[in-house]
Amino acid sequence: MIELKHVRCGIGEQQFHYDLQLPEGEIVAVMGASGAGKSTLLNLLAGFIKPDSQVDGEGEIYLGGERVDTLEPSQRPMTSLFQEHNLFAHMSVYQNLALGIRSNLKLTTQEQRQVEQALDQVGLANMGSRLPKQLSGGQRQRVALGRALVRRKPLLLLDEPFSALDPALRQDMTMLLKTVCQQHQLSALVVTHEPRDALALAQQVVFIAQGQVHWQGTSEDFLQQTDARIKAYLGENC
Amino acid sequence: MFKLRSWHAFSGFSFLLVLLPLLTAVGAFLSYTEQAQWALYVQDSYTWRVIWFSWWQATLSTVISLVLALLVARSLARRPHFMGRWLMLRCFSVALVVPSIIAVYGIILLHGKQGYVNQLWHWLGGQPRSYVYGLVGILLAHVFFNLPLAARIFLQRLEAIAPETWRLSSQLGMSSTGLWRHIEWPHLKGVLPQLAAMIFALCFTSFAIVMTLGGGPKATTIEVAIFQAIRFDFDMAKAVYLSLLQIIFCGFILWCGLRLGRPIDMFASQGIGHSKLSLRPDTQSLMGKMHDAAVLLLATLLVLVPLVAVVIAGINDAWLQVLLDVRLWRAFVNSLWVALSSALLSLLMAWGLVLAQRYWRQRHRLAAEAVEWTGSIILVVPPLVLATGLFIGLRPHVDVFAINLYVVVLVNALMGLPYMLRVLSVAYVKVSSDYDRLCSSLAIYGWHRLRQVEWPILRRPIGLAMALVAAMSAGDLGVVALFGSPDIQTLPLLMYQRLGSYQADAAGVTAVLLLGLSLTLFLVLERALGGPRD
Repeated sequence: MIELKHVRCGIGEQQFHYDLQLPEGEIVAVMGASGAGKSTLLNLLAGFIKPDSQVDGEGEIYLGGERVDTLEPSQRPMTSLFQEHNLFAHMSVYQNLALGIRSNLKLTTQEQRQVEQALDQVGLANMGSRLPKQLSGGQRQRVALGRALVRRKPLLLLDEPFSALDPALRQDMTMLLKTVCQQHQLSALVVTHEPRDALALAQQVVFIAQGQVHWQGTSEDFLQQTDARIKAYLGENC
Repeated sequence: MFKLRSWHAFSGFSFLLVLLPLLTAVGAFLSYTEQAQWALYVQDSYTWRVIWFSWWQATLSTVISLVLALLVARSLARRPHFMGRWLMLRCFSVALVVPSIIAVYGIILLHGKQGYVNQLWHWLGGQPRSYVYGLVGILLAHVFFNLPLAARIFLQRLEAIAPETWRLSSQLGMSSTGLWRHIEWPHLKGVLPQLAAMIFALCFTSFAIVMTLGGGPKATTIEVAIFQAIRFDFDMAKAVYLSLLQIIFCGFILWCGLRLGRPIDMFASQGIGHSKLSLRPDTQSLMGKMHDAAVLLLATLLVLVPLVAVVIAGINDAWLQVLLDVRLWRAFVNSLWVALSSALLSLLMAWGLVLAQRYWRQRHRLAAEAVEWTGSIILVVPPLVLATGLFIGLRPHVDVFAINLYVVVLVNALMGLPYMLRVLSVAYVKVSSDYDRLCSSLAIYGWHRLRQVEWPILRRPIGLAMALVAAMSAGDLGVVALFGSPDIQTLPLLMYQRLGSYQADAAGVTAVLLLGLSLTLFLVLERALGGPRD
């Protein structure tokens, strides 16, 4: 179970307040209008933003029964994947993956094999020596996904990971993400704008509005919703 | 068919203005080559020492400035909530337009025999020591100017790093060393060669600083040796010999700089220091905090304290007496006139060249490049060398002391030209690519195009460039010293004399007035021409 207990934070004028329980081992789509607080939710989970002062029992974050909000970002059992800037431009694909295991890049033979395997899984075998600028946008996101695999953290936080890609590529990546999560029994929170992605990827949808969880349910239910805010967000065509 | 238009005349006039002084100088040098006793100069150990010292001090200044700037930029980037940050960055941008004589004055106030450092040392029981004159003082002054310059560019680079990169690094648990190796260094190293070449060239040709803080046989650069040959030895042939050497060296340095890549815009870093978000994972450790505190304290001592010392020294009882002195106000008016004329002349020259460049760009690439080279002549023939050439070339025909200020204006305008030309040319290319088609489809030409379309886009870069040229010209102490005559004063020259004649209180008041003039010119021109900010 992934659990946020009344986690509050204020950024500028805007107040955010999340009270949320999510099942583990599933892909959850996080949806909502721009500025509603989707990324803030992910940033709080990852520890990039600190919640406001905590009153007892409130403001705590749990993952699999363990409290994580007291941990540093690097100690939390999760891996983030952004829309871009996931890779270090001066490092090869291989090194970018190796960084997920050890930041001095000195790997044991077994760890080296892990990296090779991960590259294979994301469909980049033999591409290890390339630099990020020699890759397409889709390939770069595959590298980032590969690093998430070698890190072996149970929760993936993906902030619009495929928004910059063409529709066909996007579909491929969606499938890849789904396969990888199933194989490794990973949980994932995916911020997305595309209802079709949400349906293809996720069993669950969390809809965020004005800094709060507005609605939560299965993805099929989400598209049938009669709730005014959700309808306004989805538009007439859906 | 070729039709003569008004801009052709304007452009041609600009070319003449730029090339004529140069040709005069070169002609003067060539006419002396027969008299020069080459063999004698080559054997002269003093000259060799001067050459060696020129390279040595410039190398040291560059290395020290860059290393300190890296440390300072990193510490500033790590402490977005540091209280003095705004003030420090403000002072860093101000330092770019502080007249060199003011920086020297501040450094003497701090490090001189009666300076704050020696007072503290004495209080602790030590003997006051004189260390500011010579290499140490020259390095202190060069760091005063170049540390802020480089630190701003580095900081701008660091602040441009994507927030995702910092988040990623904190998730990967990178240490401070890892951050430096994997994130900061790869982002900074790109600007390093160009920045180093620029700082080296500035220090190599630095005149006022070396003249005031060095000048002895141990600490003289070629630039100052030329001045001494003319003013003290009246040895024109030697001045010519040294000038030719300086041209060769500067040409070499420029060639190296060009091989390293496109020049960077040293004043583009206007909007830095706004990032308030600290995403870096390495800011919390005690060691890191102590390190940053030490680095920022050092930067304060090197840059902020000399400026503050100048202001403090300016507040004394002599102000009324100094301000009632007519000589001061004559010098003030001269400096103001020099500043505004230089800025305007520089703009006109650049504009004329840019028009020619725009014309040639579509017809003949090489010619367009030649135009840019023409504007950069001052980088190969440094100000004092050019002035020397003019001094020697014009002396038989006119009273060189009478035309003093005109030469100052001309040389300062030429000094600002490379920057002005680049700024203007970049802006013009942008206007062209954005609006050429729109303008021709709407039939907006000539004056209307200039007023309605170009000016709103050009005024910001023009404002900044003119403000810089004006402020620098107001504080110029190079050409004016070479041509100097007792009748025609400028504020920097007056300041220099008062510094030399132990009129401490008068020097203090003059310094504050000069500093005020430079800063006011900069701020007023930048705002007035640049227009309202977003």
